[in-house]
Amino acid sequence: MSTDSLTAGKSTRRKSSRASKPDPQSPDDTSRRRKGLSERNRPLWMLIPGGLLMVIIIVVPLLLGIFMSGLDLDQYSLRQWVSAPFIGVQNFVEALTASPLLHAIWLSVSYSLIAMVVTIPLGIAGAVATQNAFKGRAVIRSIFLIPYVLPSFVVATVWRTMFQPGSVIDSMLHSVGIDPGLWLNGPQSYWTLILVQIWASWPFVYLLALSGLQSVDHEVHEASALDGALWWNKLRYVVFPYLKGPLSLAFLIGMLHHINNFTLPFVLFGVPAPSDVELLPILTYVTSFQSFRFGLSAAMAFISLILIAIPLFVYLRAVKLDDAETPGGKK
Amino acid sequence: MKFASSAKFAAVVVTAALALTACGGGNSSSGGSAGPVDGKGKKLSVLTGVNNQYSAQQKQWFTDIAAKFKAQTGADIEFETFASANDELTRIQTSVVSGQGPDVYSLGTTFTPTAYATKAFVTLTDDDWKKIGGKDKFNPAALGISGPDAQHQAGIPFVSRPFVMAYNKDILKAAGIDKPATSWDELAAQAKKMTNPATGTFGLATGYKDNFDPWKFIWAMSVQAGNPLVDGKTLKLDDPAVKKAYQTYFGWLTTDKIVDPASIGWSNSNAVAAFASGKAGYLMMTTSSSLPTLDKSAVAGKYAYTAMPTTAPGQTSPQGDAANAASILSGDNVVVADYSKQKDLAFAYINLITSKDEQLNFQKIFGDLPANAEALKALNNPALQPVADTAAKSKATPFTGAWGDIQLALLNVVVQSIPDLSKGSVDDSSLEARLKDAQSKGQASLDRASK
Repeated sequence: MSTDSLTAGKSTRRKSSRASKPDPQSPDDTSRRRKGLSERNRPLWMLIPGGLLMVIIIVVPLLLGIFMSGLDLDQYSLRQWVSAPFIGVQNFVEALTASPLLHAIWLSVSYSLIAMVVTIPLGIAGAVATQNAFKGRAVIRSIFLIPYVLPSFVVATVWRTMFQPGSVIDSMLHSVGIDPGLWLNGPQSYWTLILVQIWASWPFVYLLALSGLQSVDHEVHEASALDGALWWNKLRYVVFPYLKGPLSLAFLIGMLHHINNFTLPFVLFGVPAPSDVELLPILTYVTSFQSFRFGLSAAMAFISLILIAIPLFVYLRAVKLDDAETPGGKK
Repeated sequence: MKFASSAKFAAVVVTAALALTACGGGNSSSGGSAGPVDGKGKKLSVLTGVNNQYSAQQKQWFTDIAAKFKAQTGADIEFETFASANDELTRIQTSVVSGQGPDVYSLGTTFTPTAYATKAFVTLTDDDWKKIGGKDKFNPAALGISGPDAQHQAGIPFVSRPFVMAYNKDILKAAGIDKPATSWDELAAQAKKMTNPATGTFGLATGYKDNFDPWKFIWAMSVQAGNPLVDGKTLKLDDPAVKKAYQTYFGWLTTDKIVDPASIGWSNSNAVAAFASGKAGYLMMTTSSSLPTLDKSAVAGKYAYTAMPTTAPGQTSPQGDAANAASILSGDNVVVADYSKQKDLAFAYINLITSKDEQLNFQKIFGDLPANAEALKALNNPALQPVADTAAKSKATPFTGAWGDIQLALLNVVVQSIPDLSKGSVDDSSLEARLKDAQSKGQASLDRASK
C-alpha cells in the first residue's frame, strides 16, 4: 500500500520536474554542451557499483523504515515482523499527539540554531585571527582543531565529569562566590548541552571560514589597501562576501549534524533523559530500544527525516550547492 | 584525484564485503546431524557480557571452558561478548529478525521477561531440563524469573547476584550501633547518628543518578509494604506505598540529610568509591562482586555484608511475605536460541557451566554466587554467607514483557526529580504528577503486553 503510493508520488514528481525543467535551463544546457563534454558518451555505467551500494545501504533501509512506521511492531511481534499488524498512520498520530515528539523537535531545532548562531562568529574570529602569519601560528591552529578531532564520546565524557555536582566546575565557581546549581539535570541542562556543543563544533566553522579566507586573492587585499580601506571596512565589504559560500555550507551541515547528534546528549545526560534535554534522537532511541516500540519509533524517525529534508531542500535550491556548474556566489 | 576516489570506493567495497562475511560468519558452522553430544567439527556460538572488572580472568575462563567442552563433546566454542545491555539488545534483535546468530545467550534476570516475550528462545521441556542435569540441580529461588510459570521456563539460572548492603564496622561501632538495621526507619535513624558533614562522613552511600539502583529501592519498599507493583493486568504505581517509598528514598537526601549531597550525580560506582574510602556507614544496593574492590581498599577487613532491610518504611516488623523480599532476584540466566540448529550441543554446554565444580570455580574468580544448589551450599567464605542467605530470600520482579518500560518509568520519576532534590525538597504535588505520568506510561505498556 504505502510503497505503491510512494512510487506513484515519485513518478508524478519526476514528471512535473521534467515538465518544468527545459524552459529555464535549456540555454544553460547548450552552453555546457559547447564546452565539449559529450553528455551522451559519458560512461554512466561505471556508477552502477556505487549506485548499487547506495541502494543497499540507503534506499532499502529507508523504504523498510517507512514500511515499519506503518506496522504495530514491538517485542511481541518482532520475530515475525513482516506479518506484524498494519495500522496505517496510527503510529504517526500517536507520535504527534501522545508522545513528547513535538517538544523534542522544538528542543532539537532551537538548540541547534542557538549553537550555530554562536559558533559562526567564533569560527570567523578564529579564522581571521590566524589568517596572517605570526610566530607560533601553526601551534595555535592545531590547538584550535583539538575539539574537532576528539571523538564526540570523549568530549561528552570529559564534560560530564567536569559538570558533576561538586566537581571541578562547581568548585571553581564556588571559589568566586557563585552557586551554579545543577548542570546535568533541570532547566540548566539545556544550556549545558549548547555550551558543550559550541565547544565541540566551532572548529568546524573555523575550518570552513579559513578555507574561505584562503580563497581571497592577494590582489583584492592590495586593491582595498590602495583604496584606503581600514580593517573593519575591508573585513565587512571585501572579505566577508568571500565567506558567504563556505559559511552557508557550515551552517547547513552544522544544523543537520546538531539535530542528528545522539552521542553528545546520550553520554552527557544518559537515559531516561531529563525532560529539558529529551532531544529528537534520544526520544527515537528510547522508544525503539527501551520501550521496544519499533513501529512508533520508525514513524518518529520518518518525521524527523522530513523535518531535516525541508530546510535542506529549500537551502540547496537557494544557493544551488547541488549544481556543481554554478559555484554558489563565489568569485 | 581520480585514483584517490577509486581507492576510496574500493575501500568501501572491501569494508562492506568484510561486514557481510562477518554477518554470515555466525551461521557457517552449523549443519550435519550427528548424535546428541557428539559435536565433532561443530562450533557452538555463545554470546555473553564482557566483564570489565576482570577482563583478563574472563578471557582465561573462556579458554578453559572451551578446552573442557572440546574434551567432552569434541566441539569448539566461539565466545562473543557485548559491552552493554544496549549492545546485547541490538544483537538479540538482529538475531531474532534474521533467525541466525549465537546459539546461547547470557541475559540479565530483569531482561529475561522481555527476551521471553520475543518467543525467540527455547522454552524448556522436561527432556531439555534432563539434558542440563534436571531442575533440582538449581537453587529453587533462582528459577523464579526463568519464565511466567513453572511449566514455561526459558531462562536457565547461571549465577546469582543478590543485592545486599555493606556496612563499615568501625563507623557503626563509633556511633554506638551494635547491629545493622533491619527496617528502613531504623536504617535512617542509625545513619543519622553516623553522619558528620564536617568530616565528610555520611550514614549511607548510594547513587541517585544510577541507571538501575533507584527503581530497585522503590520496588523493594513497595513490595515489602504489600504492593508488588504489577497485579495481573493492572499497574499500581499510584498506590500510597509507592509514594511513601519515593518519599523515603528522597528523604535520605532532603530531610534526613544522611547521604552526601553530591550523590544526586553519583552512579553506583561512585557510592562504592565513597564507601571504600571509609566515608560512609552503609553502602546500599551492592553485590558480592564489590568484594574484590573493597578488599583492596581502605576498609579492607573493616566491613561486612548484610541483607538490606525488609520492613517497609513506617512499619515495625516485616508484613506478609516482606521478609522474603530482601532483594530483587538478580543474576544471569542463559537461554538457548530457538533458531539454533545445535540445541543439544547448547544444552551440553549449559550442563557443563552449571555443574557444581564450574560454578564454584566461577564464584572464586568473579565473585558471583552459584545458581547450582549444591555449589551454593558448599560455599565456605563466611563473608559471603549473608549474601548467600539473601539469594534464597530474593523475590522476582514481575514477569511481563512490559517490565522494561515499567522500570524505565520508575527510574524516570527519580531523574525528573533530581533538580528538586538538589534544591532540597521534592514537593508532594510534583511527585504525584510524575507518578501519575509513570502510571499511565507503564499501564499502556502493560496493556500491550496482555493484548
